[in-house]
Amino acid sequence: MILNGIITGLIMGGILSLPVLGVAVIYGITGIPNFAIGVIGVFGGFLTWYFLSFNMGIAILVGVVFCFAIGYIIQRILLTPISERGGDSTLFFIVTVSLGFVFEGLMRAIFPRPSISLALPRIGTINIAGVTVEGFKIFALLFALGTLVIIRLLEEHTEIGKSWQATSQNLKLAKLIGIKTNRVFSIASGIGCALACVGAIFWGSLYNLNLMTGWDLGFLGFIIAVVGGIGNIWGGIISALIMGMVMSFSGYLLGGMWQSVILYFIVILVLIVAPKGILGSERSL
Amino acid sequence: MKGRYEKIGTILILLLPSLFVFKGGYLQEVTGYVYLFLIQGYVAWFLFFKSGQPFFGYSVTMAIGAYATIVLTEMFQWPLFVSIFIGAVLATVIAVIMFLSTSRARGFYVSMASFLLAILFPKLIEALQPITGGRSGLYFGGLTALVGYKTLYLLVIFLTAAIVAFFLWIMGTKTGRILTLISENDRLTQTVGLNTRKYKILAYSIAGFISGFGGALYVNYTGFISSVDIEVFTTLYIFFIPLIGGSKVFYGPVLGALFVILIPELLVPVERYLRIFFGLIFILVIVLLPEGLAPNIQKLLRKMNPKRA
Amino acid sequence: MSEPILEVSGLTACYGMISALKGIGFYVNDNEIVGIVGPNGAGKTTLLESIAGSMHIKEGQINFLGHQIERWPVLKRRQLGLMLVPQEGNIFPLMSVKKNLEVSVILSNRAKKEELIDRVYKLFPVLWEKRRQIANTLSGGQQKMLAVGIGIASNAKVMLIDEPSIGLAPKLVTKLFETLKKIKEDTRTTIVLSEQNIKVLNIADRLFGLEAGEIRFDEKTENLSRDVVKDLYLGSIS
Repeated sequence: MILNGIITGLIMGGILSLPVLGVAVIYGITGIPNFAIGVIGVFGGFLTWYFLSFNMGIAILVGVVFCFAIGYIIQRILLTPISERGGDSTLFFIVTVSLGFVFEGLMRAIFPRPSISLALPRIGTINIAGVTVEGFKIFALLFALGTLVIIRLLEEHTEIGKSWQATSQNLKLAKLIGIKTNRVFSIASGIGCALACVGAIFWGSLYNLNLMTGWDLGFLGFIIAVVGGIGNIWGGIISALIMGMVMSFSGYLLGGMWQSVILYFIVILVLIVAPKGILGSERSL
Repeated sequence: MKGRYEKIGTILILLLPSLFVFKGGYLQEVTGYVYLFLIQGYVAWFLFFKSGQPFFGYSVTMAIGAYATIVLTEMFQWPLFVSIFIGAVLATVIAVIMFLSTSRARGFYVSMASFLLAILFPKLIEALQPITGGRSGLYFGGLTALVGYKTLYLLVIFLTAAIVAFFLWIMGTKTGRILTLISENDRLTQTVGLNTRKYKILAYSIAGFISGFGGALYVNYTGFISSVDIEVFTTLYIFFIPLIGGSKVFYGPVLGALFVILIPELLVPVERYLRIFFGLIFILVIVLLPEGLAPNIQKLLRKMNPKRA
Repeated sequence: MSEPILEVSGLTACYGMISALKGIGFYVNDNEIVGIVGPNGAGKTTLLESIAGSMHIKEGQINFLGHQIERWPVLKRRQLGLMLVPQEGNIFPLMSVKKNLEVSVILSNRAKKEELIDRVYKLFPVLWEKRRQIANTLSGGQQKMLAVGIGIASNAKVMLIDEPSIGLAPKLVTKLFETLKKIKEDTRTTIVLSEQNIKVLNIADRLFGLEAGEIRFDEKTENLSRDVVKDLYLGSIS
């Protein structure tokens, strides 16, 4: 049972690390905490579900591209202007939660069902030390870790990655040397939302998606990022895996009802005891 | 002087709907509901906007008051008024603990922690289903059974007016002025030599107690509470009451409560679009009218009535 | 030579109610080092930021290479060839020296990029030695060199530098100023720098004095005595 718990925890943590990564990318580059990305991601998951019978590849693409576009647009027309006028974190909290309301409402209004489950193809099963795990879950975990490595490589070795780093470290100088910082912000926001969408698609194919899942993913993503030290990607991943374990074991031991209670409780404790997160925050990628 | 007229006017307007009791029915029911949220709205107005404390746990303090009242009366057979009082005290304790435990953290993390508590609390209620009824909720006779619905309605109105009067009064006292000072510049207030911690604890205690009491009143009036009623959105709605109405004026929350509670009632036929509508309104108000509706309505009135201005 | 490439007239800028610049007018010729001298709070930084575009101006015109740029955003001015090296926050603290320079050449084409970075390393050999080091672990003087290096890497026609000598040891100031002169001679870059260090007399072609948001004098350096410049600083104290 312990092994089973660890494997479930790893997989949950792996999937959770996608929205965490989304939050970390957005906050790391733009300095704006966006609480709507979970809802936007789940909206993309619903879109994927809607087109799934048509063609799986296209359906996933539609969801991810849509989320990227939404992230790009809200940053461009709403969040960047507010931050230029000097908005603080509490204001962004209110604005992005309101945005979440809008997208939750859109989901309610557009899609015929409030709760869905994505039927993605299973890739057989794998046997690890006597425990049978679905291949698809392993794929989800590997995908999350792969995304992390790709983002890391992008920012180290490409020009666009360097301009992200520059923007996150010194916005004023980045503007002065000629980086289109507004575009960097918009792209970061788009990528964050797209990552949340991929997370939501995985979540929806392993568990299910409903109108509330977006809030859970968004807030969990944010608070896990906080626990890891917000903006610190490695800290975020590690704390995502730890939180996955916590969820998995508390689910086994106390039943599903207590899962999120324990999770939120731990997070509040961390906020109170170590406000900078367990690994400290660099506020950069 | 102008401030005094504004205060008296606010209280008088608040007392006016007691006349609805003659008409009864739907109008009375909705008005009572508006008033119960107005209490919470004024708590947010006092704690967040006037004292500058980044607290987002209004639904939690409210729910503690409500659940404590039910559980103590129904399960432990305590007298109703004692239960209400204990509920309000419990809410006070939670609010103060929340403040003390987060006082080391920086501003945004404090609001984050209290907001997470607001997310956690309904989940806790659901996990404790055997006691709290979880999603299916608890029914409660309480005061309605004791004094009847119409009397309770009048009671809600007068208590709300009294609570609002208390808040308006306290903002005019020395304590209120110090809280305003803290909200404007915390560090400066400290260097002047005032014990800001003491005043902040006082602010949290007042807010916690009244919010908890308001919650107890709420469950007496509605006769029912479940985890759905205290979802995290409740805390946001409460927070938006002073924000939308305008936090700078005394009657701002009244406008805000009308808006936040009445609009959904009017929009029942198109309920599926409610969230979209609300989200957009919130964003528009924050971006275009950062001071809320009230100052802009004043401006509009002045424009329409140039003679009086 | 005598045609000004940057011309400012009637420039007014305010912080809220306080006006920091009260109708400044001056010009900068091509391939010239112009020093802006003046006491603290005279408006030197505000003036440079107004020209670079990171500060909003109230009134006035800025003409650069025949364009009226006073309403342009920072990026557009940068593309035309203006670059400001700020006094503080002038490096990317968590990136290596090499990356700092690599990101600063973003607007140039591929061939030009290598050339620009090489030029910086030639001017400041110490940056080449420390190219793998993270910028905020460099010493103060090296950080300042990196900041100027970022300015050079940006390949600007007119480089505005805000108080380059501040916080530097006297020996380093002399060295830095010599390097600036070399930059001007090698690459025909025009440099406008604000200064409080009297050594600026050694490198500037022209100086003008700023005090309380107004121009006090505007002279060729050879016509100026050290005392006049010193007076400007001391004048505000006594």
